[in-house]
Amino acid sequence: MIINENLITLDLEAKDRGSAIIELSQLAFNDGKVTSVDDFVKSVFEREKTYTTGVGNGIAIPHGKSDAVKEAMIVFGKSVHGIEWDSLDGNPVEIIFLLGIPNKNVNGIHLKILSQLSRKLMDEKFVERLKKANDKSDILEALSDINIE
Amino acid sequence: MKIVAVTACPTGIAHTYMAAEALEKAAKQLGHKIKVETQGSIGIENKISKKEVDEADLVIFAADVAVKEESRFKDKPIYKVEAQKAIKNAKAVIEDALKILQK
Repeated sequence: MIINENLITLDLEAKDRGSAIIELSQLAFNDGKVTSVDDFVKSVFEREKTYTTGVGNGIAIPHGKSDAVKEAMIVFGKSVHGIEWDSLDGNPVEIIFLLGIPNKNVNGIHLKILSQLSRKLMDEKFVERLKKANDKSDILEALSDINIE
Repeated sequence: MKIVAVTACPTGIAHTYMAAEALEKAAKQLGHKIKVETQGSIGIENKISKKEVDEADLVIFAADVAVKEESRFKDKPIYKVEAQKAIKNAKAVIEDALKILQK
């Protein structure tokens, strides 16, 4: 599975962008999705440097492509206090999708899911649903709506 | 107006698709026809044909990396912008793109 309950946190402890990425990457490591937090985080930070993944509307989608990723994954994090992300609209981030992609042997269906998720994030209703979710199952249910053509 | 657009970004997993979705929604709201080709990690999807280029009034590139097969569009007015601009305000991108036709 590209996401599961172990890859969701509804109460991020991190107060800044860097520690949020590390905290979410740690969940991926604990669930066996990445082999090294350091290596994966490095690829995510590299990507953040190009330009921010804070796409506005309280959403950030940090992502990295790395050998440390065993299979494509989505890690979801929600921050109660909001995290400064240098967002396009200047607002703090409430929901974070950390996406990980392996360097080799990428599964096409997984990529398709990630692309559909990105599209869905432009959908106001979908985003509201995620922001209001207060249970991990709410998040999984919302994400299960992503259909693959 | 008939618009064709291409979106692309460095990793090709997020901004490419968000920008495509944003442009499609904005074009619809503004009453224009649009076809958006995504050049992402999956490869090229929803590819714009020669015929569609010929029929288009305008081309938009919302891309942070070089657009593949750019020569397809060489005889058309092209408006180039960063992918994130389309995500932030796709309506403004389309409106600005249309302005190049008036020049």
